[in-house]
Amino acid sequence: MTVEIPKETWAGSVRTVTFGATASEGGTRARSLTVGGQKTLPFLHFEHETPHPPLVAIEIKDRRPDDWSPLLLEAWGEAANDPASWAKAAEAAGADVLVLALSLNDANGQPTTPEAAVAATQAVLKASGMPLIVFGPGQAEVDNVLLVAVAEATKGERLVLGICEDKNYRTIVATAMANGHLITARSPMDVNLAKQLNILIKDMGLPLDRILMDPTTGALGYGIEYGYSVMERLRLAALQGDAMTQMPMVVTPGFEAWKTKEAKVGQDVPAAWGEWRERGIAWETLTAVTLIESGADIVVLRHPESVARLHQAIQSLMALPELA
Amino acid sequence: MALTGIQIYKLLPQTNCKDCGFPTCLAFAMKLAAKQVELSSCPHVNDAAKAQLAEASEPPVRLISVKSNGYDVQAGNEVVLFRHEKTFYHKPGVFLRVQDDESPEAIKAEITQAAGFQVNYVGRDLVLDGFAVEAVTGDVNKFTAAIAAVRDATHRPIILMSHDPAHISAGLRLLDGEHPLICGADANNWAAMGDLAKLHGAALVVIADTLDGLTDLAEKLKDKGVNDLVLAPTTHHLGTALTLNTQIRRLALKKNFRPLGYPMMTLASNAPDPVYEAMLAAQAIAKYAGFIVLGHFQPEVVYPLLVLRENIYTDPQKPIQVKPGLYEINNPKADDPVLVTTNFSITYFSVANEVEGSGLPAWLLVTDAEGMSVLTAWAAGKFDAERIAKAVKEFGVADKVSRKRIVIPGHVAVLSGELEEELHGWEIRVGPREAVDIPAFMKQVLA
Amino acid sequence: MAEHIVRFDVAQASARVLTGTMLTEAAHQVGVEIQQPCGGQGRCGRCAVLVNQGTVRRRSTLRLSLEDVAAGYALACQTVVEGDVSIIVPPQEKIERRLTTDLTAAEVTVPPGYDPNVAQQVRRVCLTLPAPTMDDQRDDWSRFQTALRQQTQLQNVSASLSQLQKMGGILREGDWQVTAIVEDCPDCPARLIDLKPGHTRENMPLWGTAIDIGTTTVTLWLVDLMTGQVRAQVAEYNGQIARGEDVISRIVYAGKNNGGSVLRQLVLDTINSLLEAACKRVLTNPSEVMKATIAGNSTMIHLLLGIPADSIRLSPFVTAANHIPPLAAHEVGLDIHSEAIVDCLPGVASYVGADITAGVLSSGLDDAEALTLFMDIGTNGELVLGNNEWLVACACSAGPAFEGSGVLHGMRATEGAIEEVWINSTSFEPTYRVIGGVKPRGLCGSGLISLLAEMFLTGVVDKGGHINTHLSNSRVRQGEHGTEYVVAWASESKTGHDIVITNVDIDNLLRAKAAIYAGVSILAESVGIPLETVEQVLIGGSFGKYINVEKAVEIGLLPDMSWGHFHFLGNTSVRGAYLALLDHQARVRLGEIAARMTYIELSADNSFYEAFMSALFLPHTDLSRFPTVQAAIVT
Repeated sequence: MTVEIPKETWAGSVRTVTFGATASEGGTRARSLTVGGQKTLPFLHFEHETPHPPLVAIEIKDRRPDDWSPLLLEAWGEAANDPASWAKAAEAAGADVLVLALSLNDANGQPTTPEAAVAATQAVLKASGMPLIVFGPGQAEVDNVLLVAVAEATKGERLVLGICEDKNYRTIVATAMANGHLITARSPMDVNLAKQLNILIKDMGLPLDRILMDPTTGALGYGIEYGYSVMERLRLAALQGDAMTQMPMVVTPGFEAWKTKEAKVGQDVPAAWGEWRERGIAWETLTAVTLIESGADIVVLRHPESVARLHQAIQSLMALPELA
Repeated sequence: MALTGIQIYKLLPQTNCKDCGFPTCLAFAMKLAAKQVELSSCPHVNDAAKAQLAEASEPPVRLISVKSNGYDVQAGNEVVLFRHEKTFYHKPGVFLRVQDDESPEAIKAEITQAAGFQVNYVGRDLVLDGFAVEAVTGDVNKFTAAIAAVRDATHRPIILMSHDPAHISAGLRLLDGEHPLICGADANNWAAMGDLAKLHGAALVVIADTLDGLTDLAEKLKDKGVNDLVLAPTTHHLGTALTLNTQIRRLALKKNFRPLGYPMMTLASNAPDPVYEAMLAAQAIAKYAGFIVLGHFQPEVVYPLLVLRENIYTDPQKPIQVKPGLYEINNPKADDPVLVTTNFSITYFSVANEVEGSGLPAWLLVTDAEGMSVLTAWAAGKFDAERIAKAVKEFGVADKVSRKRIVIPGHVAVLSGELEEELHGWEIRVGPREAVDIPAFMKQVLA
Repeated sequence: MAEHIVRFDVAQASARVLTGTMLTEAAHQVGVEIQQPCGGQGRCGRCAVLVNQGTVRRRSTLRLSLEDVAAGYALACQTVVEGDVSIIVPPQEKIERRLTTDLTAAEVTVPPGYDPNVAQQVRRVCLTLPAPTMDDQRDDWSRFQTALRQQTQLQNVSASLSQLQKMGGILREGDWQVTAIVEDCPDCPARLIDLKPGHTRENMPLWGTAIDIGTTTVTLWLVDLMTGQVRAQVAEYNGQIARGEDVISRIVYAGKNNGGSVLRQLVLDTINSLLEAACKRVLTNPSEVMKATIAGNSTMIHLLLGIPADSIRLSPFVTAANHIPPLAAHEVGLDIHSEAIVDCLPGVASYVGADITAGVLSSGLDDAEALTLFMDIGTNGELVLGNNEWLVACACSAGPAFEGSGVLHGMRATEGAIEEVWINSTSFEPTYRVIGGVKPRGLCGSGLISLLAEMFLTGVVDKGGHINTHLSNSRVRQGEHGTEYVVAWASESKTGHDIVITNVDIDNLLRAKAAIYAGVSILAESVGIPLETVEQVLIGGSFGKYINVEKAVEIGLLPDMSWGHFHFLGNTSVRGAYLALLDHQARVRLGEIAARMTYIELSADNSFYEAFMSALFLPHTDLSRFPTVQAAIVT
């Protein structure tokens, strides 16, 4: 007998968002990138083709971080000493996108200045032709100051600016609008809060195809289930036609996984935890795989080996199934 | 189809007699609709209604048990495609596979190690659920020797993996009295395997590479009287596995398609390498597997997989909680303040974000308030002086700080007196009521 | 432990207390009343006193500014004595009155066809007994019982010892003509309440009272049971207010140091003084009141009866008793006739009490064909959904924002409260209306709802309730509590200070309205009924009296329906108690309502939280639920 394949027909789709401007588009990027456009839940090609695969981003910092796991610093080696060489190394490691995460303080413990933030951004833009996402340090007021300076200095590059939150969305959205950038809207792991922030940003007049959203996730063992379900619900709502949830999603499993004790620490842990390096990479990889299956369009990773594994998974998931 | 509370209510006696332990018939009906009670709790329901309700409550995914020596690994009875819609009930059993081309001694050593594997995650001990023995040599004696070696090392349930009914028969005889899982029935051997399953009361895995193949076999076996089945698509490809598992679960739940109304098995052991195997197993956890067979035992991979399984199978209807503990914000030192709050995630996030945003270092002590916000938890008696004092001790706060000073939320200022008594030698300070006022409080009052 | 002397400027005597004694306790010792609206939890800041001299330790200074503390202010409920001290108690804030009396209340319609002989359980019977003789040596009591049975068919009447003690005298005083007041009871022996010498005239009133004990207000109706007429309506703030404004605070207060008996006495004092006032108005005495029915939330009933209420507050939130058996007035402590029955009406759960079952009775919801939503909005919002087939109820904690509390310049709906606001959509300048037409002192619940709606529609706040700091208007500014909007400048206000609404206030209002709306949506969801199919919304409680439906819909407090769907019923709780007082059948029906109402516990799972978060937006995250508001805001 032939079983009838159960297909869903969805009223809505994920919005297509393009970022990174090439020379002909008024920027300096070697290429632009597009995410979104799905008309099904992740990788269900039997319902509809998936126009754009999820992207793997690598997070780099404006200076050598002092709170990262030794495993990560070892993996990046000297390259992590300055953002330009790090950007090149990340490109070589297979990143589709770069995320430049600005530090709160410089190496001397002084607050990062707008000038330094701009210099780091420009160094990365010069070192690599990849489209760029820039994250502030995550404190609303500092983010406002640094990101406005970066946005103005990189006008027309179609960067993605983050982190734009409920608290400071007005300033960041305004500078994105004025300087031709995009924003990523971050809300704390709640479907309603994600949607509310998107509405507030839309109400300011930023076109919807310039908004990504970051519903925040947790790592394995540290709340991934909440992030997972929030993303799954946002994606379902998007497919059901709710325009305020149709933004592509960017999440940071690298950041989340590498702050867990399991990944970060190799000493004074139970023997049953097994070998440290593989555990750390598995923690990051399995977090990220789980998230692309719940709808992530961009996963931001930290370890180069995880990047390779994610590419393998995405390739597998994007291939048309052997049977369908 | 599932009935709503009101629909069920109309079938009940509506006398509000309370014999079922609920205050009203409607309350009972709502619990029935939520599948949290059995209809048999109502002594007064008539037969016609009983029949109608029983039909509506038949599980769309059959519950399957694999048992041995007091162990019982169950899969099935799932009612939703997405965990947020209700919850996923039965965590997939994770089994480690060994093959009979290894010596019994090697098998015993490996299984002993794997059976001894145990990690603690939020107070729960995570272990492997059982083991699978796969016939690869074609020698029945080697197969039974391998099974015996596993049984020497552990009492946990076993999956017998072979396409040869003779192998399975030998294995079943060896494990007489248990309910192992037979893996499995294919287009060639299904009739003989079905007979064995019936004879030994064991559940049978149906193996095929397409939906049609699985359906065909499941129907034939059902006709033969084999009721306890597990569906195993043969693929080890991430994309194909996702597609097939999704289609099977959808057919069972949304189309009530009985031939596929069984738990699924993912043979991650077929993956080409351990890295791919781990990703396939991770996918299987979130995407509907009832049993997962691993080919490699790596503690550093099994650990995250078992944690992922705990996470995905957490009941999402419970309040969103963060792990109680002492959190460090902005690299606090021994003389920095200790702030207390509850483990309701939104409460935690708003406090943590404000402190983080202030740039000021602090210790954030998160107490177990069963996921309630400060005021709610206080009102319900889940955030009181006793509980705060307990958390201070449990998380060794005194060992981390030199200045014994603790800041409680302004909403529970009333606790300051009792807390002074509970925590001798600690200075109790009352912080602001709203998280947004914390930075100013830290700068002005604590500085 | 050392002993210290505490002097209060307003008291003659000084208190002698041990180190570590709370200032409130010291004050209490010498009869100084310091208000504690939050129940002594250090939350409201209204118990601030000035420490003139001496050593105290402030556990908390919440709500006091740094300047206040520097000037010597301390919270009496959070400050302990550590030496001899002298304290200055500032004048205590008076609670302004805007309460219903029969001068302002609408006349209550007697249920049509009321016949005390059919409906009333309290019966007044004039009896003429044969005098005893040497041939008829029956005892007084059986003589009375026989006469009663012959005239009324009442069997086996019972009586208290004190009635027996007085009986012989009264029979002889009336020369064997007496009037008996008997409480009839269908399932138990009838009971003699009172016996008077002589025959009372048919047209003389027979008094009963219906009482609603609200957390804030106690309402009492004095009823002539012969005619069914309400002859006096009185109301007064619940004397417990100073010991906690909400039920949780009261329960906590009751749980410590004899607090339970303090609260019990306070509410008894309130009720008894209301009784006195009502009786005075009709020229009778409280002891002439022969029956009382009492409605109130479960906490109020527990506290009235001195039953420990802690289990109401603590998970799993059960009451000591939902159905209280009939009690004698002297046991309860009501100053009505000591043998009179006090009937505390039945509730359903910890947070759905007799006030709600009585409300349902008086609204007729339990008999309605149409799918009906009943809402009683106060500090707690209680909601009932259903019809004549089924009833579900829930309670959601809205917080005190709608009562003007927990908001910086909030106040009760009394003289000087801004009750309605309009904001010009281009200049962002407000105009407002004040209760009593005087200079404003603050904002009451309806004023806050109206203000928020206007701020939202004019863009002064965004949909998240954040005040738009990019607005160029001097009314938007940074204050001590963050961003604020000035509603009235100091020059216009009675207080001489600017009257503002802050972002924190708006958050509180949003939470309050979200809790109510979420309760409504979860109630509908729990029975699988779309909210749109609700055919009428009945709003009980005083909240409904002043609220502007349109504004309440605009902020997403009430579901978006046309005005015709909403009906305001006023105090349905006291009316329900009145119906139960008059008519035995109504009382039976009330019992049935309580028995068949299904309580939905909102904290049992996450669905309430989801609905709450969704409602925590203006008007709602899902704008399609508010089509008329959507039409009004073109963005």
